[in-house]
Amino acid sequence: SSSPLSHGRSRLQESGSCSGSGAEWRQPGRRRRRQVALAVALNLRTFLRLQPHSNGKVDLSLPNIGIKWAWDVARLQLLDTSFLEQGDITTPTPELVEKLKEVAGLPEDCAVTESLAVLAFLYLYLSICRKQRALPSLDIVVWSELPHGAGLGSSAAYSVCLAAALLTVCEEIPNPLKDGDCVNRWTKEDLELINKWAFQGERVIHGNPSGVDNAVSTWGGALRYQQGKISSLKRPPALQILLTNTKVPRNTRTLVAGVRNRLLKFPEIVAPLLTSIDAISLECERVLGEMGEAPAPEQYLVLEELIDMNQHHLNALGVGHASLDQLCQVTRARGLHSKLTGAGGGGCGITLLKPGIPGVGGPGCQPGLLRGVHLENSLERKKRPRNRSQLCCVALGKLINLSGSLLSSLVK
Amino acid sequence: MLSEVLLVSAPGKVILHGEHAVVHGKVALAVALNLRTFLRLQPHSNGKVDLSLPNIGIKWAWDVARLQLLDTSFLEQGDITTPTPELVEKLKEVAGLPEDCAVTESLAVLAFLYLYLSICRKQRWTKEDLELINKWAFQGERVIHGNPSGVDNAVSTWGGALRYQQGKISSLKRPPALQILLTNTKVPRNTRTLVAGVRNRLLKFPEIVAPLLTSIDAISLECERVLGEMGEAPAPEQYLVLEELIDMNQHHLNALGVGHASLDQLCQVTRARGLHSKLTGAGGGGCGITLLKPGLEQPEVEAMKQALTSCGFDCWETSIGAPGVSIHSATSLDSQVQQALDGL
Repeated sequence: SSSPLSHGRSRLQESGSCSGSGAEWRQPGRRRRRQVALAVALNLRTFLRLQPHSNGKVDLSLPNIGIKWAWDVARLQLLDTSFLEQGDITTPTPELVEKLKEVAGLPEDCAVTESLAVLAFLYLYLSICRKQRALPSLDIVVWSELPHGAGLGSSAAYSVCLAAALLTVCEEIPNPLKDGDCVNRWTKEDLELINKWAFQGERVIHGNPSGVDNAVSTWGGALRYQQGKISSLKRPPALQILLTNTKVPRNTRTLVAGVRNRLLKFPEIVAPLLTSIDAISLECERVLGEMGEAPAPEQYLVLEELIDMNQHHLNALGVGHASLDQLCQVTRARGLHSKLTGAGGGGCGITLLKPGIPGVGGPGCQPGLLRGVHLENSLERKKRPRNRSQLCCVALGKLINLSGSLLSSLVK
Repeated sequence: MLSEVLLVSAPGKVILHGEHAVVHGKVALAVALNLRTFLRLQPHSNGKVDLSLPNIGIKWAWDVARLQLLDTSFLEQGDITTPTPELVEKLKEVAGLPEDCAVTESLAVLAFLYLYLSICRKQRWTKEDLELINKWAFQGERVIHGNPSGVDNAVSTWGGALRYQQGKISSLKRPPALQILLTNTKVPRNTRTLVAGVRNRLLKFPEIVAPLLTSIDAISLECERVLGEMGEAPAPEQYLVLEELIDMNQHHLNALGVGHASLDQLCQVTRARGLHSKLTGAGGGGCGITLLKPGLEQPEVEAMKQALTSCGFDCWETSIGAPGVSIHSATSLDSQVQQALDGL
């Protein structure tokens, strides 16, 4: 925490932390125009701590990717940022990103991932805070439980955290945290604004993203995405899963192109396959909608059947991999059902954990796991799982462990 | 009647594509498998009818005189008599098999007896015409299975590759002979249960399973198209297509729920050596086929067979698209076959 600032407008009284959830494709169905996809919030979170300074600097620390960068507020203030002032929310074009690079002053040899993360921050900082009389001096640390580059929406969670924190510190949206609150969320309208800005951050990083990742990270729960339209599933149940990263690298573009090629080569075979995947997503949406507070065993069975069928379909589309087969085999030998999530060809898989398995639904598992971005005051220290690094605890000082005890009991 | 020795053989079959989907009105491709059944017939003068089936340990005989005296009017209802359950019961009395004779064994004996009594009673030996052979073979199948589709006997009679859909059977013209490994996982399964499982999945998730069956249908049609184009010298690209079709169909069959860990293992072992396999037939265990493309060195093939055998599977190197029912000269037969027929 820190002392109140002496600038004209009051700021947050103490440092705030917000976290955005990762996003994960439950049914990644190689989307054609009409196909539906379900994206669900993944409770591996990205945490942001923002502290107002009085040292005249903007400090940005991203320990996951080894970034520690700072700017003088005074120098930033002097910049010609008129390129940002084109209406309420400026779309980040490639030209704009180039200008930001000059402003950022990053070293030549800075890797792409790292520089895009910095540029996204700078874009959001300069755009959101430019309405302030003076640019704020801030210390920002962002740390994520999510691996990046694994199709889990880590960049979106990052953008959502930045948008939420910056909008709050600039008082564009109110701070929803009341006295005595551990955690709280913004209103619907405020979340809309957070999501809009987070999407711009995503555009700096990805160029032309779909917008689903930041939507899931903002809203939480489960989203349906079809033909560019995003809608929330009402009251989706919180499902326990294992998320596994095979760590086999893959090229998303190549995999997506491969599916397209297979469709062109065998249209009569692949088109109905995509129709079948669409039906799987719809059936899953239906079951999730019916599950509510106390899901029945039969409903879990259906989810498992859907997982299995979709995994076979994804293999038939040619986006499988031996590592994913191994993942499925290992879990199947223990009566559990898994599928790849995202691009395939390696990458991540999800395994559904049903009640009755030790650690599922027991103590240490909080309800409402699919929360989207929220503000946390004091994060309760829960039992630390053995596989967390010391750095993470020290960097944040606190840790929310929502699935650690489950993980450590299952992933021996 | 002819008085010399007759040696006849007929091939087995595998379903190349379309299993399970065929039950739901889709097309299937059935191909003759060059693992053959051999029959040697020797006219006797000892007044007996001797039947030996060494594979299942059957050795049975009847007095021709006694058989002649039987009232076989139950067989005389037109040219080809359909074997009804009642007819099969009457045959059992005629056969005189022991009480403890197992089902498979007794059905094999009854099928023989039915065909022997029915065909030979006319004392006419007409030239073997494939249609006629097939018609009778189908009747024999009905004794054994009750209500078979007729595809198995058709493939065995005509050989090559057949297309089968909604009861209609037609031959593919000039299908290529493809080299394969046939692997038996030896995991027993219940065909009826597996077929019912697919039906249940269709009823439970019609929007998911119906397009899946449509996709399988399209795989069979694409395979038929490629086989039709392959001719004498198939191109590597055509084998590539066949392999893609095999892979996709195998995933679809898994999605239908008729896969099995043993079949996954089979596919894994062959995939590790760059070859492509799929289950054939009911699934849930049972057999799989692996396409052997040209250019494979024999040591590679042997290594693959070794790997499969060490999984506990039985493995044969053979071909599909084989000749149908054939008649052989004694000297042209493999010594192994000769010995088997001699009961050694």
